[in-house]
Amino acid sequence: MEKVIRIRKLTKDIPKEVRILCDAMLEELEKGNRPVLEAIKCSLDNSFYNPKVGFLTPGDKRVRTELNVSSVQKMARVVFMLEILLANLQSGAVNTKRELYYISKGKVKKDPKLKALDFGDQDESDSIIDFVGDMLEVYREELNCFANDRGGQTYSQQLVVTETLPDGTKAVVDLSTLGTTPFQPKNKPQALALKAKKKIDFCLVVESEGTAGTLVANGMTKRHNCIVMGAQGVPSNGVRGWCKLIQEQIKVPMFFFGDLDAYTLQNIYRTLKAGSAASLIRNADFSAPEVHFLGVLPEDVKKWDLDCYKVNERDPAEARSLKKAKDTLANDPFFQDKKNRKLAEVLEWLIKNKLRCEQQAFFAVDPRDPLKTEKIILEKIQKGSYI
Amino acid sequence: MAKTAKSITSSSTAEYFAKNLQQVGFSSPLKAVLTTLKEAVDNSLDACEESGILPELKVVVRKIGAGASKTSDLVEIVVEDNGPGLDAEDLPKVFGEYLASSKFGRGQCTRGQQGIGISAATTWAQLTNASGVRVTSKTKGMRKAVQAVIDVDIKQNKGLMKAKETIDWDRPHGTRVEFRIDGRVQLNGDGGLLTYLEGTTLVNPHLTIEYTLLDAEPVRIERVSDTVPEIPSATLPHPHTMKLGEFITHAGLYGKVEFGKFLRSGFSRVTDETLKALVKNGMSKSLLPLPTNKLTEEQFKSAFQVISKTEMQSPSTRSVLTVGEESLAKSILRLGDVDFFSVVTRKPRICDFKPVVVEVALARFLNRGSEDESIQLLRFANRVPLQFDKSACAITAAVESVNWRSYGLAQSKDSLPSGPYVFAISIVSPFIKFKNASKETIDASDELVEEIRRALMQAGQKLSRHIRRENKEADLERKISHIEQFGPILVEGLVRIVGAKESRKLKAEEGLKKLLGRDTKEAQKDLSEAELRLNALKERQAKAGLLFSARRHEEVAIADEVEAEVEAEGEDGSDAENSSASRGTDKRGTAKLVEVKAGTAKDAGKGTAKSAEIATKGTGKVAGTEKRATDKTARK
Repeated sequence: MEKVIRIRKLTKDIPKEVRILCDAMLEELEKGNRPVLEAIKCSLDNSFYNPKVGFLTPGDKRVRTELNVSSVQKMARVVFMLEILLANLQSGAVNTKRELYYISKGKVKKDPKLKALDFGDQDESDSIIDFVGDMLEVYREELNCFANDRGGQTYSQQLVVTETLPDGTKAVVDLSTLGTTPFQPKNKPQALALKAKKKIDFCLVVESEGTAGTLVANGMTKRHNCIVMGAQGVPSNGVRGWCKLIQEQIKVPMFFFGDLDAYTLQNIYRTLKAGSAASLIRNADFSAPEVHFLGVLPEDVKKWDLDCYKVNERDPAEARSLKKAKDTLANDPFFQDKKNRKLAEVLEWLIKNKLRCEQQAFFAVDPRDPLKTEKIILEKIQKGSYI
Repeated sequence: MAKTAKSITSSSTAEYFAKNLQQVGFSSPLKAVLTTLKEAVDNSLDACEESGILPELKVVVRKIGAGASKTSDLVEIVVEDNGPGLDAEDLPKVFGEYLASSKFGRGQCTRGQQGIGISAATTWAQLTNASGVRVTSKTKGMRKAVQAVIDVDIKQNKGLMKAKETIDWDRPHGTRVEFRIDGRVQLNGDGGLLTYLEGTTLVNPHLTIEYTLLDAEPVRIERVSDTVPEIPSATLPHPHTMKLGEFITHAGLYGKVEFGKFLRSGFSRVTDETLKALVKNGMSKSLLPLPTNKLTEEQFKSAFQVISKTEMQSPSTRSVLTVGEESLAKSILRLGDVDFFSVVTRKPRICDFKPVVVEVALARFLNRGSEDESIQLLRFANRVPLQFDKSACAITAAVESVNWRSYGLAQSKDSLPSGPYVFAISIVSPFIKFKNASKETIDASDELVEEIRRALMQAGQKLSRHIRRENKEADLERKISHIEQFGPILVEGLVRIVGAKESRKLKAEEGLKKLLGRDTKEAQKDLSEAELRLNALKERQAKAGLLFSARRHEEVAIADEVEAEVEAEGEDGSDAENSSASRGTDKRGTAKLVEVKAGTAKDAGKGTAKSAEIATKGTGKVAGTEKRATDKTARK
């Protein structure tokens, strides 16, 4: 099997680390002691944000699992999954989390002694895989476990991507030659090298993949030297890594264009810019700290008289989103940092006005002009109407 | 203007209700059947109790054809009682005239209050089936029973008697009503007839009822108490419960009596000391000797204002009635195979200046509900089941406000707990504040919700003694099975990864056994302790012969715990959960536990037999209990 492209220069020898860990556990058991597994606590209460670093980093809190009757099942499952992952690392095989779930089920089917370890659903096996990653302090991708590629559809007339394949050969993709087909980064964007045929002025990441497609279909990438990308909701690891790569290698200003609501700000934009609390150990390579929030901003709502929705507090989902915005202000270190004060003010505006505005509302400004949204976006970039 | 003034007409009360029957519970064919049954049963029970008769009711509900409207059936509802019966001349008043009541404004804890319900049922029958109610009635003094059809004269608000005849009836006294109405029959669920009949049975331990619903076989439930509840007589009104208009009207009844004397004799809690306080607070002293009927409106108003701002002793609680823990405990056994239960009767309290008593029965059944479903909530106001608009009711608000997880029940935030439980909560008060005329929902004032909540917490603590013991048992079982299942797999996995020799494997297995064995021993110890405490408690109760009644000091201990818990929650909600749970464990030995047990029900015959049967199930069903508890623990 071909060697998997590395995501970063990892000094750890994962198989060796796994064996050392298991040996230590066995030794503790031989002595009649309780082995302990420790992992970084990946949660918001253990997240720190330093604007100089640019992404969420873990604090000192750790999750300790000591062997007892309550934790013996989890420990046995961790060792079971370690064995599967170790075999993949040694053979070079890669799998998605869902495939690993089925591999584990297949092993249980073959060996009835393992029946007690059988995962009831994928959530159970996913949490064990995440725990292994957090415990070894390695990326899931470094355990040869890759998520489904989602989002990141990219359009540009200037961008050229060179991909180094596992066998060492290189594939060159000139995005201008792809016609209406977008380029989509894989979950290993680190294997890509970028080049601009001509100076690129900006990169626009659009929350809605559909709206990104509309802007391109209307000729935005032809009229302007830019990159347009669809995030497709919450950015996947691939999208986050890809944005970081664009920022680092092409060094263009990057703007995020999405809805004006708490979910977009916290779950989509913050995750793109600073990573997430659930992936604290991966944020360094999977976040784009320089990305700006272009809108929709509260000032746009006023300036363009945009159609808004009143948040219906009787609707449990919408009420939750409002509560989430309040919790975010109270607990999220990203929004609490004074550098992001203006973003926090947007959240405060949302809580106060109980409104939400969608990115597509710009299409109502001048329904006769199909390019109006593009013009507003450009005007906003030129006038510095972003955070 | 003149034209408009001429067109103004006045309508009779009957006309108003005939057009607004939805306000009194006839908003759909489904509710019409239930409301009609309810009104007839309420009237029968009230009549029996007022005459000191142990009620024996026969209820038949059946479909007899198609209804006049498309979506309904023609339903016959028959309720027969052994009450005192009615004289022929009273029949039109009782069944055909609105607001003709012997109980209106008396301030007693009777089921009916205004005299609307049964007349509304007659109106519904008349509107949907063109015929009112057929009544058969016989008093002790009658040789033959009188039978007639009563209609409502809607224009005049008068009852009309038709087809009157005298017939032979083998009963010494009683009343039988037969309604034929358009409606639909629902048996189960919140608005079901069975739910209503079971609820009525539960809070009326002195009731014997036989019911036949649709094509099912008749069901007979015997009474478990031979005492007719004595409805406490009404007390005088408290001045703080009145509005100015009521105050003046009330004064009108006292004519020339001196105003000071009127205040003392016309109200409760007004003494000479109170009068002094009123004068001190600004009431003119010269007002007190004046004849009440000579006072001007201005003088009434100024006096009323002073009364409103003067502190007075709270109203008396003597006018409220309780079912009682003992009766409630026996009555709950009539509903099915009870696994275990707890009952609490609070002392009467003043809520919103009205005397109120809250009673709670929480029971787990062997043959009802499941762990995943919400508990069945039975709400009662003055011993009448409330079956609609649950979410807006004070009782529901109180149940949802309690943290049932700390008592071992599953519960989502701000929701009803789940599990195979029935929660029966009864509010008794001469002045229950309903949200509407159909008396479906009790208004949720803060004081009332808090009082219900305290009762629920007391009952919850009792219940938790059982649940904790079950959980310990399940915990032990889970721990033992975990060791057997996962221990060897863990060691083998480690050995494979490391490539260790067999000797290391054996040694690690030994170490693992030692480690997990220690945990098991601890779990076993916990279970033994829980069992010892439970048994000690059972013995104490058996010796004292107080299985179903409160032992004062134990009640006080639990009440203290609840007070402390409420206070702790007030300070910090999140800490309260932990503290209450640990407190519950520590004080397990001090709390009273109501246990279903053989030979303890005082009554002979069926009651005792049923108790014995349940006790056998209780002890013999360990496997079932374990399974349920294990499932629950696994979900957690």
